[in-house]
Amino acid sequence: MRRLPVYLLIDVSGSLTGEPIEAIKNGLHVLLSTLRQDPQALETAYLSVITYGREVRQVVPLTEISAINLPQIAADGITPMGAALGLLAERIEAEVEKTTPTSKGDWKPIVFIMTDGKPTDDWRAGLARFRTVKVGNVIACAAGADADTSVLREITESVISLETADKGTISAFFKWVSASISVSSQRIETGGGEGSSLKDLPPPPPEINTVF
Amino acid sequence: MTVIKLTSQDGKPVEFVPTLIGQGGMKDVYFSPDHTYVVAFYRDKLDHASNERLQAIVGSFRDGIFNRAGGDYWQNLFRWPTGIVEWGGRTGITVPTYQSHFFFEHGSKNDDMLKIKGREKEGKWFSSASNRNSFLDPRELGTWLSYFRICILISRAVRRLHAAGLAHSDLSYKNVLVDPAGRNACIIDIDGLVVPGKYPPDVVGTPDFIAPEVMATSRLAKADPKRFLPSITTDRHALAVLIYMYLLYRHPLRGGKVHDQDPARDEELGMGERALFVEHPTDASNRIRLDQVKKSALPWADAARLPFTLTGPLLAPLFKRAFIDGLHTPSARPTADDWEFALVRTVDLMQPCQNHTCQAKWYVFDNTVKPTCPFCGTAYRGLLPVLNLYSSRKAGTYTPDNHRVMVYDGQSLFPWHVNRNVFPNEKLSGDQTRRVGYFRLHQGIWYLVNERLPDMKDLTTGKAVPPNSHVDLVEGKRLLLSTEEGGRVIQVQMVVG
Repeated sequence: MRRLPVYLLIDVSGSLTGEPIEAIKNGLHVLLSTLRQDPQALETAYLSVITYGREVRQVVPLTEISAINLPQIAADGITPMGAALGLLAERIEAEVEKTTPTSKGDWKPIVFIMTDGKPTDDWRAGLARFRTVKVGNVIACAAGADADTSVLREITESVISLETADKGTISAFFKWVSASISVSSQRIETGGGEGSSLKDLPPPPPEINTVF
Repeated sequence: MTVIKLTSQDGKPVEFVPTLIGQGGMKDVYFSPDHTYVVAFYRDKLDHASNERLQAIVGSFRDGIFNRAGGDYWQNLFRWPTGIVEWGGRTGITVPTYQSHFFFEHGSKNDDMLKIKGREKEGKWFSSASNRNSFLDPRELGTWLSYFRICILISRAVRRLHAAGLAHSDLSYKNVLVDPAGRNACIIDIDGLVVPGKYPPDVVGTPDFIAPEVMATSRLAKADPKRFLPSITTDRHALAVLIYMYLLYRHPLRGGKVHDQDPARDEELGMGERALFVEHPTDASNRIRLDQVKKSALPWADAARLPFTLTGPLLAPLFKRAFIDGLHTPSARPTADDWEFALVRTVDLMQPCQNHTCQAKWYVFDNTVKPTCPFCGTAYRGLLPVLNLYSSRKAGTYTPDNHRVMVYDGQSLFPWHVNRNVFPNEKLSGDQTRRVGYFRLHQGIWYLVNERLPDMKDLTTGKAVPPNSHVDLVEGKRLLLSTEEGGRVIQVQMVVG
C-alpha cells in the first residue's frame, strides 16, 4: 500500500507569540482530529511536522495519522527557513520510500510551508538542497502582512496569503490543509493526479487569498 | 430559527435552515427544519445538459422506478432526489435524509477514540482491513454474512438502475452507505446518473473503482471516439470491485507489480491498460506482497491464505469473469443480475462457525466432506445435513436445480426453497417472504419442522408430513415440498464432521 507523505513546515518564530502560536497549535490538533475521521486518510496519509524558530526541528517524524502525538510548540527566535528546507530535504530522503524496479514506493510527498515573516538565513542554499528531492504539491502560506511572498514564490508557484495572522485565518488555513490532504488521499490515485498546482485541491476558504 | 421558504419546480413547498451542514465536491448542503430532507445547492452554475439531466432524474427516471407497483421497495435502497429548487441564482435539489442506521452508533474503539460516533457510515471504513482491525468498534462490524446481505442490496439496486437504462457512473464506497450491524445499504449521489448516449458523465469515477479502459483513455479528449467514459459496463467493473472489497477487505488489482518508477504513471498503468488481478491463477506478477502491507491489514491481505475462492462455487466464477476474462473485455463482465443471483444462492451455502470467538462467524460450505472455517480454521463437528434441490420440468421426473442448501440449527425454509419459480427479490409479496418451516437439531437428530406446506410428503416412507409436524433428516431421505408447478423435492445428504 502506497503511503501519502505530508510534510508541514511551520514557522514558530518569536513574532508569532500569543494568539497566533495558540492558533497554530489548535490548528494542528483540529487537522489531526479531522483526518482521523477520514477513513481514506487514516489508511494512506502519513504526516510529519518540522518547526523552525529558535531551532529547526522535526517535532513529528513521518507517522501514520492515528499514531501521532503532538509535542509542545513554543514561539521563540527567528526565521531560519533555509535550514528548515534543508532538514525537510534530508527527512524526505530518509523517510519517503522510493519506487524501485521491484518494489512500489510512496506517493510523492505533499509539502505545506507556513511563515509570517522573511527568512533570516541563507534560504537560497536551503532551497537548492530542497530542489534535489522529488515532491508532489508544494503549497506555501504567507500569514499576515509581514510575510515575504516573493521568497515563497521562488519555492513554489502555489502561494496562498492570509491577510492577517490571527486565530480566524490560521484556523481556516488548517481546515483547508486537512481538506487538501483528504482530497489528495483519494484523488492522488487517479492518473495524472499529482500535479503541482492549486487546481487539484479544494478551493481555499474565503479568508485566504491566492497570490497572483 | 431562520427558515427559507421556496417552491420546487413542480410546485411543492420546500424549506431549509440556512446553516451549512456539509460540503460535498460540488454542493453545499442544508437541513429542512424537520430534518426529513436536505437541500443541496450546486456551487457552480449548471450547464444546459446538467439541468436537463436533473429534470429527468427527479422526473421521468424517478417515476419509472418509484411510482409503479412495488416502487416503495426502492425507497430504502436509493436516496433519490425528489425536487429542484432555485435560490439566489443557484440550483439545488431536495434529497431525503439518510436513515439513522447509516450513522455510527458506537463509532471507533476505546470509547470512540476517533470521535466518529454520529458520522456517516461511509463504506471505506468497512472495506479496509486495517480500518476494521485497528479502529472500528467491533459492534459496528457485523458478521461476514452481513456483507452478503449488503452486497445483495447493492447488486439489486444497480440491477434496477441498469434495467432502466441508467448508469450510476461513480459507484464507490463513498457513494454507497452501508450498515453492517443492521445489514442495510443505500446508494447515494444519484444526481450524477448517466444516460448512455444522452447525458454524458461529469466524472471519470473514484480511484479504486475506475474501469481499466476508462483509466487507460482518460488523457484523451472527451469527444475522442477512442475515449471510454463511464457507462453500464464500467458500473459492472465498479460493482465487482465493491463486492470483492466488502467480502475480502482488499483491492483486487492493487498488488506488488511495479509498472513505472513514477508513482502517478505506475498507478495509471496498474489501474488501466496493464491492470492485473492480484489472484490471477497463472500470472503471479501482481501478487500482494506481505512485506509491503500494514500488519493491521492481515490476514485479509494474505490472498494465499484467504483466496477469493472461499466465496464459494457460485461467486468465484464471477470474480474470474470480472477480473480475468472481463477485466479488459467490458462485454464479458458479470451483470448486476448475475451477482445478485450468485450472492443469494451463496447465502444458502453458509454455515455458522462453531468457534464462538471467530470474527467472521460464517463461512461458505466448500462442497467437501470435511468442512472447515477458512477464517479461524475450526473444523465442523457433528452431522451436517446438506439439501440438494430438485424440481420437475416434466411430469413424474425431478431433475437437479444445481442448488444446495446447508442446514444449521434454527435455519428457516423459505418459499424460494420450495418452488423453483420463486426467487427472493423485490417482487415477492409479504406472504412469500415469511418462512414455511425451520430446521432443528434435537438430541443429536436433525428435524425439519413443517409450518405452512400443505403438500409436504416423505417420499422415502410415503407418509404425509402435514403442517405442524416434523420429519427427521437422514442420509438419502427424499422429501416432496410442494406439488405445485415448479415445486421441489429435497434429497438429503449427511456430512459427518
